[in-house]
Amino acid sequence: MRTLDKQKIWSDIKSKYSIYLVLIVLVLVSWMANRNFFSVGNLSNISTQIAVGTILAFGQTILIISGMLDLSSGSVLAFSGVLSVSTYVATGSLTLAFIVGVAASVGCNMLNGLMVTKFKTPPFIATLAMMAMARGAALLYTNGQNIYQIGDYVIFGQGKILGVSSPIVFMVLTLFITWYILKHTIFGRSIYAIGGNEEAANASGINVNRIKMVAFAINGVLVGLAGILFMSRVNGGMPNGAIGYEFKALTAAVIGGTSFSGGIGTASGTLAGAFIVGVLDNIMVLMGVNSYLQQIVRGAIIALAVIYDIWSKSRRTKPKVVNVEAK
Amino acid sequence: MKKIMVIALVVALLTSIFTGCSKPEETPVVGQSTEAAGSAQGEGSEKVYRVAYIARAQADAFAAWLANAVMEEAGKYDNIKLDVFDGQAADDTVNGLIENAIANKYDAIIVQPNNGEAQRPYVEKAVAAGIVTITTNARISGIEGASSVDADPYAQAAVNAQAAIEQIPQDANVVVLLGPPGNFHADARRESWQKEFFEKRPDVKIVGEEIANWNKDEAMNFMETWVQANSKIDAIIAMNDNMAAGAIEVVKGNPAFAEILAYGVDGTAEACLLIKDGLMTSTSLQSAYDLASSLLVTVDKLVTGQETQIDTDIDCPLINQDNVDQYIEMHKKAGALQ
Repeated sequence: MRTLDKQKIWSDIKSKYSIYLVLIVLVLVSWMANRNFFSVGNLSNISTQIAVGTILAFGQTILIISGMLDLSSGSVLAFSGVLSVSTYVATGSLTLAFIVGVAASVGCNMLNGLMVTKFKTPPFIATLAMMAMARGAALLYTNGQNIYQIGDYVIFGQGKILGVSSPIVFMVLTLFITWYILKHTIFGRSIYAIGGNEEAANASGINVNRIKMVAFAINGVLVGLAGILFMSRVNGGMPNGAIGYEFKALTAAVIGGTSFSGGIGTASGTLAGAFIVGVLDNIMVLMGVNSYLQQIVRGAIIALAVIYDIWSKSRRTKPKVVNVEAK
Repeated sequence: MKKIMVIALVVALLTSIFTGCSKPEETPVVGQSTEAAGSAQGEGSEKVYRVAYIARAQADAFAAWLANAVMEEAGKYDNIKLDVFDGQAADDTVNGLIENAIANKYDAIIVQPNNGEAQRPYVEKAVAAGIVTITTNARISGIEGASSVDADPYAQAAVNAQAAIEQIPQDANVVVLLGPPGNFHADARRESWQKEFFEKRPDVKIVGEEIANWNKDEAMNFMETWVQANSKIDAIIAMNDNMAAGAIEVVKGNPAFAEILAYGVDGTAEACLLIKDGLMTSTSLQSAYDLASSLLVTVDKLVTGQETQIDTDIDCPLINQDNVDQYIEMHKKAGALQ
């Protein structure tokens, strides 16, 4: 009986924390492969490099849990980012630049929300349309040209807070906010319910449309913040920046155990997913792996990580108990 | 009522965002047309030629700069009406636009290919249809009857590589940032560095070489990792200025890399400022203005029958500390710098 308990506990740990085990193994292998990997500077670099994508991924996590997704986040990031940069260049006000960046992104996301809730457009289509519109707006506004000489705006993405790189601080902050929202608020419980079964959630009295609008609004804040950090980090307003970042964010969320069918996912899992991709990219560059080979390895490891995660979860739910009882 | 208010607020916000913010500068943009001054003229006026300019991608900063420069330049010609189309960095879109331009019986088509070989049969179709056809940035060579205006990517990298032979110290460690594989300019610039520099300086060691796809943020990520792995990096060799600027952003202000050299190509406004500040060593100019001016001269000569085929290259002058001021002025006049 005691052995059975132990097996069950171990099985529970494996299923719940499998993605963290994958990350730990990857970190250990990387450490053994290259002595520079485990330096404070390198770990700080990895965290800084994944920060923008991870902040986007937290937004994706909230949306995916509620049965939606956002394909427009990379384009909205660019649009809100260039608006924020140009506001700073025009006014010299960091506060105003921050507000404009976040407001523009929230506006785009509210429009996404309206398309999904009011006009019943599938989120895939609604955000695909916004992806094109926001990128076009960014290019139209800047005439396709980068904005240079952005002065102190770089403080958002290149500054330090208590000795820690500011994108890392923002990433940790948004991690805790996302975790708190998902775990400790009625809104959080509602989005799990909607993602699990929208009709049942509706029948139980949850205002599905309102919750979806709030989910998009939160995503908007996160995308706006990511846009400000991105532009600040690259020291310019780049209308063609962050192309493909929506897929980076989706990848981190899905590797981190967020289910595309909705109702399942955690903020910490998404962070682990982002770190798996970040560590992988970092160690391959450190080791000078051929660029083309890197793409193959990246794809393969992502597939393996997700397969292992799904396998470890399904093992827990099916055969073991039956086998033990049969004995 | 509440819902209507929310909708109204969102629409108002987006309207103000999309329309309320004035553009930094009023210049022509991709997707617009120029009206030839002569188009409004009455009978007996000079014939107006319709020219289609098919840009590689609106989202590509250099392509957008070139498209805008071509629009500006076309405005100076009374006998040319130019329409600009966006190829969206997709071969099928560019090919479709060429087919449309043939069907619409333009007098001339200028193609900035996304992928030369993918566009070759369509450019050949335009030539076969008797339309004046010009390829630019990069040229598609070997098409009988088609003309071309380009900057030689080998020469662009070579002017930097030749300067670097003297500047990069003995037994140096260097990092190399590459453009997208298969891109004609990216590949030719790398080949040029190989032949003009690395083969002549076997003492130099490449400690990192990655594809950053012309992007500043990707170049930053690679450089951050290389800095961790190598205490000594003497030079950054980038196939364009954007990537060089990204790598410089990482080591800027780091005393351990105060003497680092950095090379790019394009002569962007940002690169000129970095050279002025002593953070970048040199770049070579691929001037969109020169390309545009040369393109319009070429179109004019071809459509008016003064010549039947023209293949020409613009110069690629080296920009360094000695002459950077004149190029900063150039960018200021164009509105790229304040």
